Amino acid sequence: MGSVNVSTHTIPVAEEGAKANRNSLWWDAYYRLKKDRIAVISFWVIVFYVLLAVGCRIGLLFPHFAETNDALSYAAPNANHWLGTDFLGRDVLARAAHGTYTSLLVGFFGSGLAVVIGTMFGALAGYFGGKVDDLIVWLYTTVSTIPYILLVIAFSFVLGAGLKVLCLVLGLTGWVGICRVVRGEYMKHRDREYVQACTAIGASHFRKAFIHILPNVTHLILIQFSLGFVGVIKAEVILSYLGLGVEAGTPSWGVMINDAAQELPREVWWGLAAATGFMFFLVLAFNLFNDALRDALDPKLKNK
Amino acid sequence: MWKYVVRRTLYMIPILFGVTLITFLLFNVAGGDPAAQMAGKNATAERIEEIRVLYGFNKPIHMQYLDFVRQIVTFDYGRSISSKQKISTMIFGESPELSPVLTSLSLTLPAFLLTLLITISIALVLTVKRGSKLDKSVMVICLALLSFSSLVYILVGQKWLGYELGIFEISGWDPSWTERWRYLTLPTIIFVILSLGSNILFYRTIFLEEIFQDYVRTAKSKGLGQKVILFKHVLRNAMIPIITLVVIQMPFLILGALLTEAFFGIPGLGGLIFQALNEADFPVIRAMTVLITIMYMVFQLITDVLYSVVDPKVTLK
Amino acid sequence: MSETLVQIKNLSVDFSTDNGTVNAVKGISFDIPKGKTVGLVGESGSGKSVTSLSVMKLIPNPPGKISSGEIIFEGKNLVAASEAQMRKIRGKKISMIFQEPMTSLNPVFTVGDQIAETLMLHEGLSKDDALDKAIDLMDQVGIPDPKTRYKAYPHEMSGGQRQRVMIAMAIACSPDLLIADEPTTALDVTIQKQILELLADLQKKYGMSILFITHDLGVIADIADSVVVMYRGDIVEQNTTEAIFTNPQHPYTKGLLACRPRLDKNPERLPTVSDFMTPDGKEKHNPDADKLVEKAFRPITDDQEVLLEVKNLKMHFPLQKGFFGGVKSWVKAVDDVSIKVRKGRTLGLVGESGCGKTTLGRSVLRLIEPTSGNVIYKDQDITELSKSEMREMRKKMQIIFQDPYASLNPRMSVGAAIMEPMVIHNIGASKEERLELAGDLIEKCGLPREVLNRYPHEFSGGQRQRICIARALAVKPEFIICDESVSALDVSVQAQILNLLLDLQEEFQLTYIFISHDLAVVKYIADELVVMNKGKVVEMADCVSIYKNPKEDYTRKLLDAIPKGIPKTLASTL
Repeated sequence: MGSVNVSTHTIPVAEEGAKANRNSLWWDAYYRLKKDRIAVISFWVIVFYVLLAVGCRIGLLFPHFAETNDALSYAAPNANHWLGTDFLGRDVLARAAHGTYTSLLVGFFGSGLAVVIGTMFGALAGYFGGKVDDLIVWLYTTVSTIPYILLVIAFSFVLGAGLKVLCLVLGLTGWVGICRVVRGEYMKHRDREYVQACTAIGASHFRKAFIHILPNVTHLILIQFSLGFVGVIKAEVILSYLGLGVEAGTPSWGVMINDAAQELPREVWWGLAAATGFMFFLVLAFNLFNDALRDALDPKLKNK
Repeated sequence: MWKYVVRRTLYMIPILFGVTLITFLLFNVAGGDPAAQMAGKNATAERIEEIRVLYGFNKPIHMQYLDFVRQIVTFDYGRSISSKQKISTMIFGESPELSPVLTSLSLTLPAFLLTLLITISIALVLTVKRGSKLDKSVMVICLALLSFSSLVYILVGQKWLGYELGIFEISGWDPSWTERWRYLTLPTIIFVILSLGSNILFYRTIFLEEIFQDYVRTAKSKGLGQKVILFKHVLRNAMIPIITLVVIQMPFLILGALLTEAFFGIPGLGGLIFQALNEADFPVIRAMTVLITIMYMVFQLITDVLYSVVDPKVTLK
Repeated sequence: MSETLVQIKNLSVDFSTDNGTVNAVKGISFDIPKGKTVGLVGESGSGKSVTSLSVMKLIPNPPGKISSGEIIFEGKNLVAASEAQMRKIRGKKISMIFQEPMTSLNPVFTVGDQIAETLMLHEGLSKDDALDKAIDLMDQVGIPDPKTRYKAYPHEMSGGQRQRVMIAMAIACSPDLLIADEPTTALDVTIQKQILELLADLQKKYGMSILFITHDLGVIADIADSVVVMYRGDIVEQNTTEAIFTNPQHPYTKGLLACRPRLDKNPERLPTVSDFMTPDGKEKHNPDADKLVEKAFRPITDDQEVLLEVKNLKMHFPLQKGFFGGVKSWVKAVDDVSIKVRKGRTLGLVGESGCGKTTLGRSVLRLIEPTSGNVIYKDQDITELSKSEMREMRKKMQIIFQDPYASLNPRMSVGAAIMEPMVIHNIGASKEERLELAGDLIEKCGLPREVLNRYPHEFSGGQRQRICIARALAVKPEFIICDESVSALDVSVQAQILNLLLDLQEEFQLTYIFISHDLAVVKYIADELVVMNKGKVVEMADCVSIYKNPKEDYTRKLLDAIPKGIPKTLASTL
């Protein structure tokens, strides 16, 4: 509420120097996150997943994930295969662990590409306004008018399957939301007095748009990236089900969950359980961390 | 009012142009030779050539685009590659009972309304009890719900509720209006559960944002009780962002829950798309992309009019 | 002494924040007599709004909490009252109006409905009866044509009318006490006058008490019978309005009264609160503050060098666009304005909100491109300069904005902000040299060198404005536009910044255009004055004559509306 002004540092009379600690938004956010136990745990869970993915990738962990064994088709969890095996007799735990790499890769590059495109378009539209804005608004209205899932389907259908294409598709379709947010922020900041003051000292457009405004919206872009990450990981599962996901043979949670449609009627539950479990803790950690990150970074939502 | 509708309709023209352009570029240009794609992997050169002529891919690119636009305007999308049926018939059905559009709606509309009712009520309760243990635990539950893939809900729901407990039909379809509910109950329940997490969190954020507005303080200073403030003042203001979310969810209403339909064998639009994808039925997917987008735009128009009912500031623009 | 309506005893309010508990109100006591107006005065952070919300028990909880004390109303202690009991009192016996009438009204209900709601709740009227009464109330608060206007939505009304609606809502059940929390701060001075008169009339009619919260001593003098002065959560002084104004006891009150620019006096320098009081609240004896040397009047003559001349400047914004981009109607924000600014002098630009003064200032600097007209700076028409020539020109012309919070990039340290213009214009050979220059500038502006490493959020409003001034000076300008540069500041800080601007003008031979809605401030700082209304210049003259005998009706109306800062009881004797 605007009128309840509890000022802790404004000293109207003497104008004494303010507190000496240098707590900018990022430091503030860092301290807030550090105090939030759930956020800290979530962070370490994510770090664990990243280490797991790297470990799998460099062959340190579960190096035999692709080994098939016809004799062991659909073995229930046992001492050798803690989470059982799949149809081809491959170790479910190993495949789920390797799926981490796929998911993180798709999440990082898919969401990253979306953020790059969205930020670029959003910044241009919001900063320049006028015709540039009209064009970009037209573009994203058009893209957002095509229902997301159809757009993704259309893109994947045309560009084919595969990990790289998947990142590309999710990036090319996911930028609209970020563009909207960044555009709105740029429009708001463009009219702020500090930017006008830059014009008054003769600063160039580049200087204003990227040295002044961009650092002021970075935190929102980070939040969007993090949200996009989760969205992309979940989209990978659906696309895999529709046959538009990764290449056959690539270990992926999507493919595993998707295989469960055939496995469940045969009472083979471990494939689904493994993939769901792996995905659940990663996505939950991300969701919880996002929630804390948003509270820490977006002062508007700092709850009273 | 009519002026407003006309203006919004005119505004749809450039968007529609954009949609056709993107779809066209995507399907006819970006994907390489569309004829080869349509013919499938093992097709002979003659078969590809045949398709090229049949679907007009031998014409110059701008003529192809004009053809495409003409298809959209005349609602004549040609025939499916695999079933050879007319695509417009496939989408709209021969009779209302067989119409995939109405089939999708009979699944999603009740499910959607139910979700709306449940999630808004829960969000309102959380708003009243904000900061309490209840609020915090429901939020964590919502985040947890969000952390499962929607596929998991369907798989587990079908297996557990349908197979193990045997309460509901697992899959199948009866097009008759009076009988179809038997096949719709389970998918509807799954649809609702699937939407709980994100919707509750979203509405809660909306209500919380409203509750700190100055007008709420004024309402309190008048001596109004919490219930009146919440249900009269806050809810009415929150309708604006709520409608926005509803519009975002509209495509799902038309498209049906793609996955749910595919899994339960419900012959709606979602099922149709799933089938077309499996058969790599290029013209069907292209036509559906455009058609569903147009339907979505009509929904947007309706919600634009709804805005003017809810938000007095919109009326006279 | 008249009967007491509300007794506040040892009231303390705490707020919990990230950095621990803040004592917003520290055990204050005062009475509100029946049928009288009590003015509660203080600067931002003084706890005055928190006090007023406490009476209604509307402190947002969490984080706020009444930690101790009593509020006695009709023999009952409101602090101990239940929420259900409070609901019967709110709106019926005690009602409240707020600073922002736009956000305080619910945007989706008609104003008639919102007024009627109170009546239906407390008086048990039917909807139709309540609406009839609402129309009657709207008539009483002076809304023209209430029979049709009751169907209007808040956004369809002007700011003044919205505040009238708020008042109608507040007096609907003839309350015993009306709490008015800065009700005129967001309004123009002419509207402010009308609202104050309306409140006084209604008080007479209904015999209610008013608790009037404001930061503006001028307004207090006009309306209050007694005054309570708050400073940092505590009451430093309370007395009758007459006594406060003629014989203030506490050094803070003395300082507050002295630092306010007034129409009837024009000292060489404005005294500041720190002239009267040490930071820890002790009285300071400062002989200089007592000697208010009247500022020597330096007349403007035609032979003085003109630094900047604006000729027939127009700035039109498209209001409504046709379907194909053709513009159907225009807002003439600046409509054919011609002014001259003389070297080393200050031109004041005054007018109410929306009169075009800010747009004029910005189009002079080409921060927005004017529609037509010329701006001639030292024989050079800057509207014809290319972008790169204009960039060069910006070294000479600078601007200081209103909102010190928005005018500094929160992600840039103070040093970087002040050095940036030097980097752009190649002032200073090395980073060290620029740092040295920036340090000199910030010291000139009254802040220590060490602040260069800090970030804007660590500073108060006044300190930030000093930083903005230092940044503007970094390019060694000749000409500065001050766009409402002191309007967002507390009155004690305002005096310091005005003094600083005058010092800098003398030292660097600066020429100012000083834009403000506050005629008293402009009169203090400017030599020459331009009054604007609806995009046009209404009157232009030197400061002394325009205040002594305004030629135009509009100017007279504007001058007349300024609170005189003289208590009612004294005004009649003068």
